[in-house]
Amino acid sequence: METTLEGVTIHSPGSRIRRRAGLIAWYAIAIILAALFLFPIFWSTLTSVKPPAEASAAPPTYLPSSITFDNYIKLNKYGAGIARYIFNSASVALITVFGTIVLSTLAGYGFSRFHFPAKNVLFIMVLAALMIPFQSILTPLFLLMSMVKLQNTLIGLALVYITFQLPFGVFMMRNTFDTVPREIEEAALLDGASTWQMLTRVMLVLVRPGIITVAVYAFLNAWNEFLAALIIMTQEANFTLPIMLTSVRSGYYGAIDWGALQAGITVTILPCIILFLLLQRYYMQGLMGGAVKG
Amino acid sequence: MATASSVIVKPARRGATLSQQRMIAGFLFVLPAVLFTLAMFIFPLIMTGWMSLHNWPLLGQATFLGLQNYVDMMNDRQFWASLWFTTQYTLLVTPPIFILAFVLALLVNTALRGVGVFRTIYFIPVVIGLGTSSLLWVWLLNDRVGIINGILLDLNLIQRPIIWLVDKNLAMFAIIVSIVWKTVGFSMILLLAGMQAIPDELYQAAEVDGASYWQRLTHIMMPLLRSTFALALVLSVIGSYLAFDQFYIMTRGGPQNQTITAVYWIFNNSFTYYKLGYGAALSIVLLVILGVLSIIQLRVLRDETTY
Amino acid sequence: MQRLSKLLVVLSLIAALALAACTPPAAPAGEQATGGGQAAGGVTMSFWTRDSNQAQVRALVDAWNESHPNKIEITVIPASEYMTKVGASVGAGAPPDLMAVDLIYVPQFAAASQLTDITDLAKGLPYFEQLSPSHVRLATYDGKIFGLPFNAEGSYLMYNKGLFEQAGLDPENPPKTWGEIADAAAKIRALGDDIYGFYFSGSCAGCNAFTFMPLIWASGGDVLSDDGSTATLTDPNVAAALEFYRQMWADDLIPPGAQADTGTDFANAFTTGKIGMVGTGAFAINNIKTNFPEIEFGATFLPGAEGGASSFAGGDSIAIPAGSKYPNEAFEFIQWATSDEVQLEYYAKLNNLPVRTDLAENEYFAADPRLTVAAEAMAMGKTPYTVVYNQLFNDPNGPWLKMIQTAVFDGRVEEAVNTAQEEFTKILSGQ
Repeated sequence: METTLEGVTIHSPGSRIRRRAGLIAWYAIAIILAALFLFPIFWSTLTSVKPPAEASAAPPTYLPSSITFDNYIKLNKYGAGIARYIFNSASVALITVFGTIVLSTLAGYGFSRFHFPAKNVLFIMVLAALMIPFQSILTPLFLLMSMVKLQNTLIGLALVYITFQLPFGVFMMRNTFDTVPREIEEAALLDGASTWQMLTRVMLVLVRPGIITVAVYAFLNAWNEFLAALIIMTQEANFTLPIMLTSVRSGYYGAIDWGALQAGITVTILPCIILFLLLQRYYMQGLMGGAVKG
Repeated sequence: MATASSVIVKPARRGATLSQQRMIAGFLFVLPAVLFTLAMFIFPLIMTGWMSLHNWPLLGQATFLGLQNYVDMMNDRQFWASLWFTTQYTLLVTPPIFILAFVLALLVNTALRGVGVFRTIYFIPVVIGLGTSSLLWVWLLNDRVGIINGILLDLNLIQRPIIWLVDKNLAMFAIIVSIVWKTVGFSMILLLAGMQAIPDELYQAAEVDGASYWQRLTHIMMPLLRSTFALALVLSVIGSYLAFDQFYIMTRGGPQNQTITAVYWIFNNSFTYYKLGYGAALSIVLLVILGVLSIIQLRVLRDETTY
Repeated sequence: MQRLSKLLVVLSLIAALALAACTPPAAPAGEQATGGGQAAGGVTMSFWTRDSNQAQVRALVDAWNESHPNKIEITVIPASEYMTKVGASVGAGAPPDLMAVDLIYVPQFAAASQLTDITDLAKGLPYFEQLSPSHVRLATYDGKIFGLPFNAEGSYLMYNKGLFEQAGLDPENPPKTWGEIADAAAKIRALGDDIYGFYFSGSCAGCNAFTFMPLIWASGGDVLSDDGSTATLTDPNVAAALEFYRQMWADDLIPPGAQADTGTDFANAFTTGKIGMVGTGAFAINNIKTNFPEIEFGATFLPGAEGGASSFAGGDSIAIPAGSKYPNEAFEFIQWATSDEVQLEYYAKLNNLPVRTDLAENEYFAADPRLTVAAEAMAMGKTPYTVVYNQLFNDPNGPWLKMIQTAVFDGRVEEAVNTAQEEFTKILSGQ
C-alpha cells in the first residue's frame, strides 16, 4: 500500500495517527462526493413515489407524506402505455447490442492481428463516424431506410444505432485484442487451430471484458436515443421510451405533470443503472484495458 | 458471413502462401464492419455533400446551386455566433471535467476498502442518457418546483429563487455543472486506467531518491499519462463540439438565441426551416473543423518527447 | 466457450442477414405498412396528431372506430417535435393517410404541393359556410381548399375571481383596456409577496403569438400585411404593446420565473391560485374544471390599449397528405368529425370549442359563460397567413420571441422592434 500513489497513505512512515487522520479524511471526502453524485437520481426517484400533489408542490417538499405509485399510473396514460415503450426500447437496444458486438469483435480482431492493404485507411474510415453530428446525416439515412422498407421497424432503428456504435466498438475491440499477448495465439497455432477457431475458442474468452464494455455502451446509447427514433418510427406503437418522455415533458398545454415526468425519468434510467451495476466489473475492466492501449 | 468463415477455416493447401491467406482472412474479418460503415455512414455522408450543393427544401423540388450555400454561410451571423458559442462552451467545460476527473481518479486510485463502491457511484451518471439527464436538471433547476432553489432558499443563502436558464452566463454555468456531473466519471475511468498501467517500481525508485508526493505526481505520473490525456481530451472536445441535447432541452437556444450551438443551428436549418441543403453545407464545414481540431490535438500531444 | 462461439455464429448470421437486407434495393425485410392493413370490410388509415389535445382526439377516434368499418390508427406525436417529424416523413414520401396539423402550417404544406385538394368535397358540405372562418382562410391556397377545421381555439384573458375580490376589484367587471389590466395587476400584486398580477410564458414563441398578438390587433395594429407578404412590426401599436408588458415586468407584477417558462408551466402557475391574470385558450377551462375545481375563474376578451377586443383563432386543421393511400375514406372521417352530432357530443359536451360558428351556442356552453367567451373570441379571431409561420413566429430561436424578450426583459423596445422587422423582412423575402 505505501508504494502506490494515492491520496491517503501519503508517506509518513511510522506516524499511525497521521495515517488514521488521512484515512478518515479520505472516507469523508469520498462519501460527500458520492452523496453529491447520487443526489439528483435519488431525488427524482423519491419524487416519483410522492403523491402527485406533493411531487409538483412549489416550493418543493422534502420527505413524502406517503408512498404511492399514482405518478406511474398517470405516466401509463401517455400513448400506448409504458409497457409497450419499455418493450420497444429493450428490443431495439438488444438488437443494437448483438449487431455491434458481432461487427466490432470481428473487425477488432482483424485490425489488431492481421495485415492487409489499406488497413489504416479502413480503420480511420470506421472511426470517422465519431466526428459527424449525426443529425446531419439523418435525412439521407431516413431516405435510405425508406428505400429498403425498414423505416418504422425496430430493426431499421437498430441498424442506425449500430452505425453510430461502431467507431467506439471497433476502437475498443481493436485495443482489447492488442492487450492479449501474442504468445497465447502462437501456442494455439502450433496446436493446429485455424484463424476462425482461434477467435472463437481462444480469443473470445480473453476479450470478454472488452465485449461487455461495447455491449453496455451500445445498450445505453440505443436505450436513450431520441431524435432518430422520432424520425424513423411512424407508428405510435413503435415509439421508444425517450419519445414518450418528451411527450410528458411538453405537457398538456402548459400543465406539465412533474410527478409523471419523474416517474418517466425513473423508468428510463433505472434499467441502465441496474445493467451497469450487474456488469460493472467486466465493463470497467474492459474500458480500462481498451483505454490504456489507446 | 458463411462464405467468409468457410474460407478462413480451411487450412492452407496450395496456391496462396500463409501470409497471403492471413491477409485475406484479416480483410474478411473487417469486411462486415466496413460494408456497414460504407452503406450507413459513407453513403449518407456523400449524399450530405451532394445536398450541400443544392437548394434542397424538405418539401418540394431541389435545385442545383453550386457553392452558393457555402457563400451564404459567410454572411450568416447566427452561424458564426454559434461557432463561437460552441468554442466558448468547449473551452469552459473541458477544464472542469479534466481537473475533477483527475482529482477523482487520484482519489480512487487506491486499494482501500470500499473504493470500488465509490468508483461505481462516481460513474453512475455516465450511464444515464444525455437527454434524460438534461430533463432531470431542468427540473432540479426550476424556480418553482426545483430542489436546488428550494435548498438555497431554506438555507437562507438566497432571498428569491434563481432563474437559472434565462441568463446566458447562469445558464452556461448550470449546464456545465450538469454536464460535469454526467460525464466526469468517464474521464475519471480513462485516467484511472492510465494511472494503474504505470508500474509501481517507478514510484518506488523515485521514493528511494527522496521524491515528494507532488514530485512523483508531476514528474512520473503526469508525463506517463500523456497518451491517456490525449485520448480523453480528444473524446471530450469532440463531444463538446457536437453539443446539442443539453441546449435543445435546457435552454432551447435562449435567452435571445445566445446558446445555440453549431449542431443546434444545423438542426434548426434542416428540421425547422426545412433548408436541408444549407444544413448539409453547415455539417460539412463542422466536420472539417472537427477533423482539423482532432489532428491538431493528437499532434500536439504526441509530438512532445515522451519520457 | 462452446456456447459463446455458437452464439457468435448465430449472431453473425443475423448480422449478415441484416446487411443483406440493407444493401440491395428489393429486400423483403419486415415491412410494417404505415396504414395498409385490411380490416374486415374496410381499410385502416394512419392518422397523426400532436399530443397537446390528445385526450379529445383519442375519444373521437375511438368513437369512429366503434361505428365504422374503416378503421383509424392514431399516432400521437410530441407537439414540440411535430413539424420535424411530419416534415421528415412527408419529405421522404412516407406520409400518413390523414393528419391534424396546427392551422398556421397549412399554407406551408399547401404551397409545397404536399396536400390533397378537397375543394369540391368541402364545398359540398351543407355547413361549409359555417366552418371556422380562420381555419378555412388558412386552408385556402391558390383558391383551392386543402384542409378543414378539426380543433378550434380562441385566446382570451383568464382571471382569478378570488384574487380580484380580495384586491377590491369587481370580479364581474374584468379589465377592458391595458391600463385597467396593469391597475388590476398592481392591486393583486399588493396582496402578498408570492402573489402576482399577471403571467405570460417568457420563453415560449407560440404562446406569445396566441396571447400577445391579439393585444396588437385589438388596438388596430398588425404584425404582417393582410396578404402576409410584408412585416409591419414598426407599427407603433407593436411597440406600445411591448412597452405595456415591459412596464408590468419592470413593476414586478409578473413572477420572475415566467421568463424561463417555455410554455410548459403557465397553466400550473395559474392553478396555484397565486396569479391574477393570464392569456390562455379554451383548453385551459376543461383542465381547471376537472383538476382544480376550487379555483373560481372568469374569462374575458383580450383588449386593446384603449378598449376593443381581439383573439387569435387557433387550433388544428385536418388535411389529407398528397401521398395518402385512402383519400376518400379519409374524407369520410373529416365529414363525420364536423357533423352536428359529433360537434355537440364529442366537442361541446367535453368542453371543447365546436369548429362551426352555428354551433357556438349550444346547451352545454349555455351552462358555462366562459366557454361562450372562448367561442366568441374564436369567431372574431384573426390568424396570420404566411407560408413561413414557423420561422417567423413559432421557432423558439426565431425573431418573434427574440423581439419580446429583448423588449420586455432587457427593456430595449425600439431596438427589439427594428431588429425583428429586419429579420422578418429577410425571412419573408425568402433568404
